[in-house]
Amino acid sequence: MSASLLLQYVVIALAVIVSAWVVAKKQFPGGVRRLRMALAIPMLREGRPAWLRTLGRKIASQVRSGAGGCGGCRKCD
Amino acid sequence: MNAETLAPLRLALVGNPNCGKTALFNQLTGSRQKVANYAGVTVERKEGRLRGPSGRSYAVLDLPGAYSLNAASLDEAVARDVIRGCYPGEAAPDALVCVMDATNLRLHLRFALELRELGKPMIVAVNMMDAARRRGIGIDLVELERLLGVPVVETVAVRRHGARALVERIERMAEALHAPTQRLGKGADLHAETRRLLAATVRMPARTARIDDALDRWLLHPLFGLLALAMVMFLIFQAVYAWATPLMDLIDAGTAWLGETVGAVLPEGPLSSLLVDGIIAGVGGVIVFLPQILILFAFILALEESGYLPRAAFLLDRMMASAGLSGRSFIPLLSSFACAIPGIMATRSIQDPRDRLATILVAPLMTCSARLPVYALLIGAFIPQKTVWGVFNRQGLVLFGLYAAGVASALLVSWVMKQWRRDKGEHALLLELPSYRVPHARDLLIGLWERAMIFLKRVGGIILALTVLLWVLLYFPNGGADVTQSLAGRIGQALSVVFAPVGFNWQICIALIPGLAAREVAVSSLATVYALSTADDTAAAQALAPLINDGWSLATALSLLVWYIYAPMCISTLATIKRETNSWKQMAGATGYLFALAYAAAFATYQVAVLLGAG
Ligand SMILES: Nc1nc2c(ncn2[C@@H]2O[C@H](COP(=O)(O)OP(=O)(O)OP(=O)(O)O)[C@@H](O)[C@H]2O)c(=O)[nH]1
Ligand SMILES: [Mg+2]
Repeated sequence: MSASLLLQYVVIALAVIVSAWVVAKKQFPGGVRRLRMALAIPMLREGRPAWLRTLGRKIASQVRSGAGGCGGCRKCD
Repeated sequence: MNAETLAPLRLALVGNPNCGKTALFNQLTGSRQKVANYAGVTVERKEGRLRGPSGRSYAVLDLPGAYSLNAASLDEAVARDVIRGCYPGEAAPDALVCVMDATNLRLHLRFALELRELGKPMIVAVNMMDAARRRGIGIDLVELERLLGVPVVETVAVRRHGARALVERIERMAEALHAPTQRLGKGADLHAETRRLLAATVRMPARTARIDDALDRWLLHPLFGLLALAMVMFLIFQAVYAWATPLMDLIDAGTAWLGETVGAVLPEGPLSSLLVDGIIAGVGGVIVFLPQILILFAFILALEESGYLPRAAFLLDRMMASAGLSGRSFIPLLSSFACAIPGIMATRSIQDPRDRLATILVAPLMTCSARLPVYALLIGAFIPQKTVWGVFNRQGLVLFGLYAAGVASALLVSWVMKQWRRDKGEHALLLELPSYRVPHARDLLIGLWERAMIFLKRVGGIILALTVLLWVLLYFPNGGADVTQSLAGRIGQALSVVFAPVGFNWQICIALIPGLAAREVAVSSLATVYALSTADDTAAAQALAPLINDGWSLATALSLLVWYIYAPMCISTLATIKRETNSWKQMAGATGYLFALAYAAAFATYQVAVLLGAG
């Protein structure tokens, strides 16, 4: 596989991951929220390195702010 | 203690419906909540921040309008509970801002007196003073303040700085909160007190609303009124086609140019295919419809602000009642033309739970704006642009017909539901008719801008994301060589067994699945499927309409149009039905009946069209 083709596949893979995340967040806000919590809680345990806990806090804090489950047509605030 | 460190004072905007609470809320907090000229626009509590000149900050609550503290509907109950402090998870407000419509004090003063009896600190904002002055209504605010025993200020919520006096009074009151100094005496009558206050403070001209009366004589006339309503609707759909075409051609040309340029710059390969056949073809295929959506919304926004809509509800009440809906359902159903989700939420203003459920179940049949791209694509591809009877644009006529079919089906479905239930009682329509108002161009433009942003965000978010995912399924595993052998191609072919009786080919079947997330995605998906299927590059840059015109029979196109009238192809709407009815059963029922209806209607359409030789 040539380097150019490899690069193209990397870009496409990234685009797919981002898209899947966007769709999941829109269609299953509850599930995404639970997933985020599940990810964040082990990171926040005692004795984890500081950077991991910062990251965990970041993930968890987004859960609270971005929890709008009100569908696509109308922005809801 | 410094003013900025104090806990924010909680203010609640309360008052009768349509007195301008939300307009005032937007003005105070800089928000953009929906304002329109009919009762029952706000159905939920909304919170915003106000920072006074002193640096002190306030939490401002916008509440649904209520006629009294004895709530009759769900939205009134929200207002009552928040004011009384028994709304779950919400502290009682520290002070009330009672908003009154200066042109309708007879009604609004009564509620103000009722609120005063709660004994909470309160400010009265006499809103719409501009309209009152224009009509020659004189109000002695100083005397009113003395008699009411609470601060009274005038506001004009739709003018810049129109709430400055209110903010000043709020700041002054925040220094020392105190309860109203006057109360109704024992055994005093609310109505008598209202009359006494009116007599002492308000000077009415002989005739107040001459223009309104003259207009109403025609627009509420049982015959001319209906004719006028039909004309208005008709003109809207004509305009959607007549005015949008030049802009749409421009966008089409832009997308084609972009596709060709990107295709020429990038080397042949998967990335080029993703960009050109996936993103540019798919997203471009949806964006073309922005002008039509905006024209439709320009009319809807202007109508909402004009005060005509409750009158239309009044005109159609008889018809809706015999179909088992009340005139109250009109506004929620009308909101569903934008999107079924706010429409379903707006049913909270319907008092009778049975009427409310009926309205929720038929709201998805109203043609939401996400369906417009699908309709417009198929109409553009299959209905020749021609003038009929000298003036009418035929494509506009067909679009009007599709919208009308949605409405007719909603009436039919609710009629059937009415036959099923035992209690067939009807409710008289009690609806406030607001004054007519000429919409401000600035507000209209802001409203349109917001609409455009909502649409573009949808395009750049969920639609783009689904297009990328679909492209992957179409491109792999065989590198875009033969789409029928791709993952999505196989899924589409499997599904087309089910959909063959309604005439859907495998390309349509592919587009139906991502279309569940957002209806417009069906259009972008079709564009991607066809862009990948056409081998040579010149064809890929071609607009979608001629491609499907070549590939589909008229019967298939008609069948798909009919499918989209009924099919509940929107997961968000179903989630909203679940939330508002609080019942999985109702949601499953709605989904089931809509899909069954869609399949049956599309089947009938396809078979009849084939029989007539359109296959
Ligand atoms: N002329 C004039 N119009 C106003 C004023 N304030 C509000 N309006 C108009 O009054 C109508 C109703 O305003 P809203 O803010 O939606 O009223 P609301 O009290 O929130 O209504 P609900 O949410 O239904 O209870 C809109 O058409 C506004 O443009 C004002 O001070 N002057
Ligand atoms: Mg409001």
